[in-house]
Amino acid sequence: MLNYAFKRLITTIPVVWIAITVCFFILRLAPGGPFDGERPLPEAVKRNLAAFYNLDKPLVEQYLIYVGNVLRGDLGPSFVTQDFTVAEQIAIGLPYTIIVGGLAFALAIIAGVLCGIFGALKRNQLPDFVLGGIILSGLVLPNFLLAPVFQLIFGLELNWLPVGGWGDGSIRYLILPVCVLALPHIARISRLMRGSMIEVLGTNFIRTARSKGLNDTPVVWRHALKPALTPVVSYLGPAAGYLLTGSLVVETIFGIPGIGRYFINAALNRDYGMVLGTVIFYMVLIIVLNLIVDVIYAWLDPRVRSQ
Amino acid sequence: MLGPQKQSIVEDTFSSPGATTQGRSLMQNAWLRLMRNRAAVVSLFVLGLLILLAFAGPYFIPYNYEDPDWAAFRMPPSIESGHYMGTDQNGRDLFARILYGTRVSLAVALVATLVSVFIGVTFGAVAGYIGGRVDQAMMRFVDIMYALPYILFVILLMVIFGRNVYLLFAAIGALEWLTMARIVRGQTLSIKQREYIEAARASGQGTFAIIFKHIIPNLAGPVVIYAALTVPEIIVTESFLSYLGFGVQEPLTSLGTLIADGASVFEVLPWLLWFPATFLVLLLLSLLFIGDGLRDAFDPKER
Amino acid sequence: MTQDRILEIRDLQVDFDTEDGQVHAVSGITCHIDAGECLGIVGESGSGKSQTFLAAMGLLSRNGTVSGAIEFRGQNLIGLGIPALNKIRGDKISMIFQDPLTSLTPHMRIGHQMREVLGAHRGMGDRQADQVCLDWLERVRIPEAARRLRQYPHELSGGMRQRVMIAMAMLCDPDLLIADEPTTALDVTIQAEILDIMDELRRERGTAIALITHDMGVVARMCDRVQVMRYGAYVEAGLTDDIFYNPQHDYTKKLLNAVPRIDPEASIERPIPKPLAAGSKGNFLKVDNVEVQFKIRKGFFARPDILRAVDQVSFDVNPGETLGIVGESGSGKSTLARAVLQLIPPTAGNVSWLGTSLNDLDQEEMKAKRSDLQIVFQDPLASLDPSMTVGASIMEPLKVFEKHLSKDQMRAKVQDMMERVGLDHTMINRYPHELSGGQNQRVGIARATIARPSLVICDEAVSALDVSIRAQILELLMGLQKEFDLSFIFISHDLSVVWEISHRILVLYLGTVVELTDSDSLFRNPQHPYTKQLISAVPLPDPRLERGRARIKLKGELSSPIDPRARMRFLPSKLHLASQGYVPKLEERMPGHFVAEHDPIEELLV
Repeated sequence: MLNYAFKRLITTIPVVWIAITVCFFILRLAPGGPFDGERPLPEAVKRNLAAFYNLDKPLVEQYLIYVGNVLRGDLGPSFVTQDFTVAEQIAIGLPYTIIVGGLAFALAIIAGVLCGIFGALKRNQLPDFVLGGIILSGLVLPNFLLAPVFQLIFGLELNWLPVGGWGDGSIRYLILPVCVLALPHIARISRLMRGSMIEVLGTNFIRTARSKGLNDTPVVWRHALKPALTPVVSYLGPAAGYLLTGSLVVETIFGIPGIGRYFINAALNRDYGMVLGTVIFYMVLIIVLNLIVDVIYAWLDPRVRSQ
Repeated sequence: MLGPQKQSIVEDTFSSPGATTQGRSLMQNAWLRLMRNRAAVVSLFVLGLLILLAFAGPYFIPYNYEDPDWAAFRMPPSIESGHYMGTDQNGRDLFARILYGTRVSLAVALVATLVSVFIGVTFGAVAGYIGGRVDQAMMRFVDIMYALPYILFVILLMVIFGRNVYLLFAAIGALEWLTMARIVRGQTLSIKQREYIEAARASGQGTFAIIFKHIIPNLAGPVVIYAALTVPEIIVTESFLSYLGFGVQEPLTSLGTLIADGASVFEVLPWLLWFPATFLVLLLLSLLFIGDGLRDAFDPKER
Repeated sequence: MTQDRILEIRDLQVDFDTEDGQVHAVSGITCHIDAGECLGIVGESGSGKSQTFLAAMGLLSRNGTVSGAIEFRGQNLIGLGIPALNKIRGDKISMIFQDPLTSLTPHMRIGHQMREVLGAHRGMGDRQADQVCLDWLERVRIPEAARRLRQYPHELSGGMRQRVMIAMAMLCDPDLLIADEPTTALDVTIQAEILDIMDELRRERGTAIALITHDMGVVARMCDRVQVMRYGAYVEAGLTDDIFYNPQHDYTKKLLNAVPRIDPEASIERPIPKPLAAGSKGNFLKVDNVEVQFKIRKGFFARPDILRAVDQVSFDVNPGETLGIVGESGSGKSTLARAVLQLIPPTAGNVSWLGTSLNDLDQEEMKAKRSDLQIVFQDPLASLDPSMTVGASIMEPLKVFEKHLSKDQMRAKVQDMMERVGLDHTMINRYPHELSGGQNQRVGIARATIARPSLVICDEAVSALDVSIRAQILELLMGLQKEFDLSFIFISHDLSVVWEISHRILVLYLGTVVELTDSDSLFRNPQHPYTKQLISAVPLPDPRLERGRARIKLKGELSSPIDPRARMRFLPSKLHLASQGYVPKLEERMPGHFVAEHDPIEELLV
């Protein structure tokens, strides 16, 4: 198992490297330098700035310096907010993003899997139809639509929950953003889970398990769950990516001071340094999450491990 | 399960005399099954109506999507004024804007889906048909791409190269092809191993004849299903980008932009959110049912 | 007598609700099983034989409904709640299935899957249960039983998995073991072992067995009584001997007649090949030292293993002759067929056709030769393009080889050919999914013969078909052979089918030729130990003969063709040469009778 995890880790290194390289060249391709402001700077200042940001060195050397910096966790300066480096800004925003994103991820998996199993067991009965409705609404209500609707209903009309902000960070402030972020994925995961559970329940080995006189509980949880989880687990990697992009919207709408909001602001202000730094950070995060997913995958299916 | 078994116990020599001579192909069967699926048929109708409205509607309403009606700012929906869905803060007719936005969303979806089908089918079919190390390398590349958060890339591109609708179309299309490539590759691999491909080779057919006569026609089903499922994904992605302010720019508009504008004032001008939201949801809902219906029609399993 | 009655089925009906309306899978079955006996339930596909017993176990799919009575020791199982049913199944009645790989849970260790039976029915703790499992694994003769408990199903061979299934089914010492086609997916030699084990259990433990099968040979070997089913209804029942030697019902007679029997004394009417013109020998099809190797890649960068699928095989085929090729799974028989047709390029060796070497031809020249060399495949549905009509499929070779014909002429030819293979010409615009397996196979045969080839390779061409349809197809092939003076290479894992149709037979073992001679002397006077084992493993559809037969058991199991030592299984005295790629040499013991060298059989017996 550890061996497998290590192997997968090795194979992700070139991925990270490619990602960083691509980012470096996108930055180079950007029209105009970062200091071509409205007022032209004096030549001397420009030269000093170029020297400070290594822009006067050959491209290869710039590239090596850049890669080296990124590896050391230095994502470069922000071009707009001069007080903080990109890494510092990410460090400030990260806890908020992790809390909201992590809770939403956990909620999506747990609720999605449970709903899916329940729907499969009660197939074509009332609970299954209710689930069908939930899935459908999750699929056709994107979170940028869901967020204002939830704010309107639970915040303004019913006045149960705060409309936004972080407040004291208590659970009251978290419920709406986490739910909005999680709902589309609850829908997708429970749809996948329901389908694969129905398929697994029809397989020969489930027939064998039933022929052995086992009750529903061990049949479902011991025999069917692991193989039925396979498509769900392979969805988790992309889901983590979708969740991150979703958090851009949710953090903006609910006014949560996470990385997503910085990223959007930076993008709207054309702060290349910040945008690029955040993208690199996100990519590494997603790659690590995918690595974890791969390892879980191997745990689910012994045949993958022995390959 | 019982279908094929039942067939084999039918006496095996001659079919009953006078039996129909015209068979039904799998495609025709799928179409008939789709037509029996009530949700899919209703959705096809709704989608047709939406498309008709979006493209023909502007000729029948007195207002234009960009010119303000100086007599009607922030006007709630009313029949008398002719602003059936009200106007926005700039006095522009919401109905006209929604129709325009729907058109943009549909156009993006169409172009991006075509791009993704083109790249996905080519990539997948090449990987599947060549096989071996080439296939392994190509699919590893897809795996890597799969793990990256593309929308960030699109935003990055939009930031650096400026907002441009055509770039948006291409970028979304270029990032939606991965699943298509995987599906096509898997299908090609399984078709390639089928004995009818060997039979065709044994009867002296060349590689190209085999690809065009035997492989591509049998890829149609999964490609159609997945393309139908891609359309709503793309509409959501476009709306999402427009919502965040990285999509089409004023005075052009799209459903995502309209929803974003509506959401910021929904306490006072609620219709500015509800109408575009309804259009988007209707569009997504009908596409979803059509996609599901196609999947069930081509691949009838108990669900 | 009645206290011995274990299971009694009365007027059982099983219906399924499907998209196309209700399907009656079982309509009015009545039968019973007494303690310690073996009842055979025989029928072709769709006869409802499996559904009957799945209904007894409460394992029908969700759209099925049951009526009638299934009484287990007087207790009606129909309508019994799941909890009450769970007390019986796995404990008093247990079941094994056709496909042992998919029937075991892939992600659970063997030990875990076995223990839970004892946990559920006996409340046994893990340690105690392990001991019982170990005992049973040893009783079904699984080597290194303790290690197997910790393995996953995919790490075991097919035969081993089925033995695990049997051990698992026997853990609670059930009164009744239901075996649903338990050996259909296995090779004959392994089938013989599994049947032996089941027979032993019945005698030692007094477990009654309900054996569901399509194979009359298996019935003759195992059963006391037989129940014949067709279309979900009862046809005939009785003692095994009565059914075999005095069948009453027409269907039973037809079924028994359709079963090919290896019986060298019986005279078989095979088409007689035209006598060879002097000096033409070896000028038809000549296969000379052909080898096919595959690289098995374990990882992207790992060094590939070499799998020698076909190793130094030589034979020739004469005009109008049928050469049978027999081998178990992994013997390389299908690969050999494809190498002969150049569908897979041989790694070494030479195939020559009418004196021209096929290996040296370029694509265009090969294409021209293909009109002479055709192939019929195993799976009738998979060998036809689902998006093409039957007529278009049959027409394909004409479009390549007889381009000068007009569309109408082609169509007329196709219709003629369809009638010739027993298909109504009105079916020309049908699609493969609308036809039965037998009809699709006729389409495949029509496609292979329409361009009037000289040699047709039949790769397991009848293996996927029911017995009665199989007999019709064999008859059709022999008829075509006579009419068009065809040669066949007939490949199958089924000895009796090969024997029925072939003039000469070649026995393959892990890619090498083990024995090659004419059909009758192969069965009358087999020389190689492997051939002897194969022949003795085939159950004969004749209960009296079958009871008195001794089986030849050899050491070792079919092992992986990747291992170079595997092919020295019958020549252990030269095992040390294996790593140098030594292949047992073929020697001509009698004129026309070739045998691979081997150690004396006494040294190879178990």
